[in-house]
Amino acid sequence: MPDPAKRELRILRYQPGVDAAPAFGTFWVENAENLSVLEALQSIKDTLDGSLAFRWSCRMAVCGSCGMMINGAPKLACSTLLRDLPPGPVTVEPLNNFPIERDLVISVGGFVKKIESIYPYIIPKEPRTIAQGPYLQTPAQLAAYESFSDCINCMLCYAACPQFGENPDFIGPGAMALLQRYNGDSRDAGRQKRLDAIHGEDGVWSCTAVGICSEVCPKSVDPANAVNQNKTNSAFDFFLRFLRKE
Amino acid sequence: MNESRPYRRPQPGNWWAKPPYRAYTARELSGVAVAIYGGVLFAGLVSLARGPENWAGYVGFLKSPTSLALHVLLLAAVVYHVITWFQTLPKTMPKLIVNGEAVPAKKITGLATLLAGATSLALVLVVLGVTR
Ligand code: SF4
Ligand code: FES
Repeated sequence: MPDPAKRELRILRYQPGVDAAPAFGTFWVENAENLSVLEALQSIKDTLDGSLAFRWSCRMAVCGSCGMMINGAPKLACSTLLRDLPPGPVTVEPLNNFPIERDLVISVGGFVKKIESIYPYIIPKEPRTIAQGPYLQTPAQLAAYESFSDCINCMLCYAACPQFGENPDFIGPGAMALLQRYNGDSRDAGRQKRLDAIHGEDGVWSCTAVGICSEVCPKSVDPANAVNQNKTNSAFDFFLRFLRKE
Repeated sequence: MNESRPYRRPQPGNWWAKPPYRAYTARELSGVAVAIYGGVLFAGLVSLARGPENWAGYVGFLKSPTSLALHVLLLAAVVYHVITWFQTLPKTMPKLIVNGEAVPAKKITGLATLLAGATSLALVLVVLGVTR
């Protein structure tokens, strides 16, 4: 009989150089009313197996480090409570579609490169001196990009994207949300540079509008919207480039 | 220190058959129905060009139980495609800002579906009125 005060976690383990392939390990943790999956992992690390590797920082759904597959779905471990999961064992795996470094830790290098590639900063329309004061923006201009600025780079959307699963070079939903955050900003003039970075197969055109990225996003960023409205932008840009004076 | 030896887990080949991706697969497959129906209409055009006898044969086929069953199936698939297409619509367009606020996706889907339904109904009424 399993102890009702305990909860079973089945965790995918992988130790590079030791394991040929990942395999599940089972742990039982003391349950508590508000125990999150992250806290369960921390208690395993503290009391059962100090070698368990996973990422976390803020434990309040703002840093984006604790993304993992929980019962097969991409979730933030810190904002997923055990009591909200169906009874029985909870499976915990590293995020889908990413190379596994160790246990629940995945490689983020590719994602960081993608973010760098889309110029993730405001390229001002007109440089202003401090004496000229701040750049002003109306509420409507803010609303045009605001939701895209909520992205916490957790990569859950990438774990949900089958096209990224097929093609790891696909720029993907999160980086496109960031691109739209800047392209949609009335103070920015970098639109052309960014569009040039996303033409082609590894750019927006890998997307087939599956849309699950937006469903799993913990911040309601709607990255699918960012990708798909930029298909239109990319297509227009392709045809208009012949008319454009360089 | 261990050097990094990342392990790649391949994506299962049948991802499209599993939830939550099944709905997407159904939406895309129902698009095939639209193409098939286009084919049915095109066949009509071809037989019209080939003369009255050929046309009568086409009309005969349309009245057959096979064709009626096919049309019921195609209609269901096309309606499903239209509904899911409008659910996807808000994701494909720039944010609509009205009075400084973004219009919610549900509202866009609702209005667009209503508009499509109303124009389809109007078209059906016009055609029925013309052929009467
Ligand atoms: S778009 Fe959402 S799911 Fe994707 S990285 Fe940003 S916050 Fe995470
Ligand atoms: S620990 Fe920061 S998002 Fe979960």
